[in-house]
Amino acid sequence: MACNGSGCQSGGCYKDEDATCKQPPKSEEADSKNPSNVCIKCKLNDAVSGYGGIDDGRFCADCFKTNLFGKFRFAVTSNAMITPTDKVLVAFSGGPSSRVALQFVHDMQERAQRNFDASRDRSLPVFGVGVVFIDESAVLPIPSNEMEEAVEVVSEVVSSLAPPRKELHIVPIETVYSSDSGDGKERITKVVNTVIDPTGREDVLLCLRMLALQKVASEFGYNRIILGSCISRIACHVISATVKGQGYSLPADIQYVDARWEVPVVLPLRDCFAQEINMLCHLDGLKTVKLSTDLCSSINGLVSSFVALLQEENPSRESTIVRTAGKLTPFQFNRIPEIIDGNVPLATRRRQKRYNLKSNESVSSESFCPLCNSPLDKSEITDWSNIDSHRSSDIFYNTCCSSCRFQILPSDSMAMEQFYMDLPQSVVGRAKQANNGNLSLLREQIQDYLLSDGEDET
Amino acid sequence: MEGEGGERKRGARLCCVCKKSRASVKRPKTLEQICRECFYDAFESEIHQVILENQLFSPGERVAIGASGGKDSTVLAYVLSKLNRLHNYGLHLFLLSVDEGITGYRDDSLETVHRNQIQYGLPLKVVSYKDLYGWTMDEIVRVIGLKNNCTFCGVFRRQALDRGASLLKVDKVVTGHNADDIAETVLLNLLRGDVARLSRCTSITTGEDGPIPRCKPFKYTYEKEIVMYAYFKKLDYFSTECIYSPNAYRGFAREFIKDLERIRPRAILDIIKSGENFRISTSTKMPEQGTCERCGYISSQKWCKACVLLDGLNRGLPKLGIGRSRGSVASDNGNESKVEKSIQGKQCTTLDF
Amino acid sequence: MQLTLEFGGGLELLCDSKKIHNVNIEQHNGEDKLIMKDLLSWVQTNLIKERPEMFMKGDTVRPGVLVLENDCDWELSGQLNTSLEDKDVVVFISTLHGG
Repeated sequence: MACNGSGCQSGGCYKDEDATCKQPPKSEEADSKNPSNVCIKCKLNDAVSGYGGIDDGRFCADCFKTNLFGKFRFAVTSNAMITPTDKVLVAFSGGPSSRVALQFVHDMQERAQRNFDASRDRSLPVFGVGVVFIDESAVLPIPSNEMEEAVEVVSEVVSSLAPPRKELHIVPIETVYSSDSGDGKERITKVVNTVIDPTGREDVLLCLRMLALQKVASEFGYNRIILGSCISRIACHVISATVKGQGYSLPADIQYVDARWEVPVVLPLRDCFAQEINMLCHLDGLKTVKLSTDLCSSINGLVSSFVALLQEENPSRESTIVRTAGKLTPFQFNRIPEIIDGNVPLATRRRQKRYNLKSNESVSSESFCPLCNSPLDKSEITDWSNIDSHRSSDIFYNTCCSSCRFQILPSDSMAMEQFYMDLPQSVVGRAKQANNGNLSLLREQIQDYLLSDGEDET
Repeated sequence: MEGEGGERKRGARLCCVCKKSRASVKRPKTLEQICRECFYDAFESEIHQVILENQLFSPGERVAIGASGGKDSTVLAYVLSKLNRLHNYGLHLFLLSVDEGITGYRDDSLETVHRNQIQYGLPLKVVSYKDLYGWTMDEIVRVIGLKNNCTFCGVFRRQALDRGASLLKVDKVVTGHNADDIAETVLLNLLRGDVARLSRCTSITTGEDGPIPRCKPFKYTYEKEIVMYAYFKKLDYFSTECIYSPNAYRGFAREFIKDLERIRPRAILDIIKSGENFRISTSTKMPEQGTCERCGYISSQKWCKACVLLDGLNRGLPKLGIGRSRGSVASDNGNESKVEKSIQGKQCTTLDF
Repeated sequence: MQLTLEFGGGLELLCDSKKIHNVNIEQHNGEDKLIMKDLLSWVQTNLIKERPEMFMKGDTVRPGVLVLENDCDWELSGQLNTSLEDKDVVVFISTLHGG
């Protein structure tokens, strides 16, 4: 077998041997697969296995890599994720998925640079790439030496990439508080520690992380954030969102593009399996780090072991889950806003038109949960006639989605007020904005009952 | 009831509703600790509310309770006849059972149903595979073995229930599907890629376009509470697994639901809520329903599934009609059906009704 | 310690199809306290004859098995730490069988 341990510890390579013999035949084609074990694509090199999925063991290392990069590039181009004038920020956690995302973005940038150098008129600029690493040691029990090591690896990885040079931003999670407040670390610790539910705690951290990414991106002029979420990760999200009662907002989170944020977020590895990603890291010796955080008794932890079990039973299970959820209707913001920029080549614009969602498909006037920013289902939009409190924290509580209310927000009013005070300004601001949005929505709903200017004179 | 002793050592946890009696149950829905009597009240009145809010019945209707002799349908029969009396629904209730012809399993559970008939004073109708199709499950298994037998049984049972219902001339069939069952079905449909079913599986009433609508008054009722209710009320129910699929009961998905319930009981209702709120465009519809040319049962094909299977059996080609024919199935490779089995929960109980 | 153990909802099939078991449990190391955790391991070694995985998962009952001590849900009395006394009645019911 091609892999012997190191580098792909989580990829399940160790069960390679018994996986190949107990795997039932998948199709005629797969059955007659390679008595000589030759790659079915190039028919030259020996096939390798260990990357999972239904194609496991059918391609050689080079063809496997080409395929994987192909999936990435197709996602990027068909969704207009990166255009020549863009400046993209890769969120790099040190883990395999974001490592591969970084590598692929880098490969793409290198190609663009080569084309630029070779072209006569140099009309197409090369997109810019930056990398961000969020240091979460303020809210996670990570030994400080481990974090230092992680930062070292991350810096080494980024600096060892060939030019064009990529700026690396190493930012503590408390950056979500304005720099002048000074007590960010203290406040963020309080916010996270207030959350009792272990799942809620993980999820509030997710919200804060996104906030931090957004802040770095807008501060340094990036116009895209690239996440390394792979299909395995997204499959887990589908199940856990369902379990948390977030069925309505679920489609918002699993598309290639999520432009509900100030800086749109894109998921170019949406079609790649975790096992493939681990395999690539192994084959190319891509360095990764893993911080020792414990996914213990949370819903998220339970879901990922459940999905892993199912994937083991059937190598296409994760993609089936994501495909099913993909049939749910996405939102208006799940696409890159139309490009009107004349600098963008016509082909890109045309491609974008073809693949982008139909713009009239969904209602545009969504309301969002100020905490997790998920679109709210009608039943969750607060009926203000029932609420007599004018306290900002109460109002905030009532504008949040029911899932956040249950698993994140304190139910006690005093504790809620403290929690609210400790939240970053950007979250609080979102709530105020949401409120106005809700008011206008309310006005829309009762429009028929409002007297028009002409009528009220009688 | 344990007298002073029990109270003393456990610090007399009191019911949070009446604040008088000793608490006996922790309710998964609300996490309240509640005494037996208050539990009965809460349990019954919540079901009453569900019936009212969803307008499940109208006065004078004839309603058949799909009765397997198991816990869910036994409790349903008990509670529904109680609520019918208490709140003057004005329903004519019947027990409707299907006799698959499985010796040592269904004959025993049917005895339970026969006892229920007397206990609750409800008329019982039993329809058998033998009468409807000319085959018992015992005979079918003798021909086809223990592979795919659940497919036959599921298809036949579904239709048998409809036939029984039309013999009883009922307006509706109610089944004992509980919240855990529905949450499980939502997950299974997600895992299988069946968007059409995903969009319908949380409806409290289904088949309104078919001959006889079916509804699930226990849609929001936790399995735990059903079992507790049956235990405290000493209801007579039957709980043995089918001899033809001894390990089929509850697969990964069910286990997952129970694991979830342990760390967050609310998850079961949240899954149902997700299922209700999924944004599914109306273009994903089920195939259009016609009628079977052979038996007249609703079918999207020329012949209904039962007739196809039956034809295979009668011609000595029992494999006919096995395999997945419905649309939007994820991957059609050979191992799918095998794997389905392991993610599938209750193939052989009421889930298929 | 004398206890009455009752198995229902299909669990009785794991112990010789007998629903009610009157048992006498010897406390080990002379301790006079017995908690549910001890009882579970005792039941697993002494009463469960087949498919133990239907009864236990890890160190507790399999999720979906209800436990009542003197007709009180063990979720109210501390689950594994529920203390037992002489003449107590403990009921185990599986919710997993049949519909």
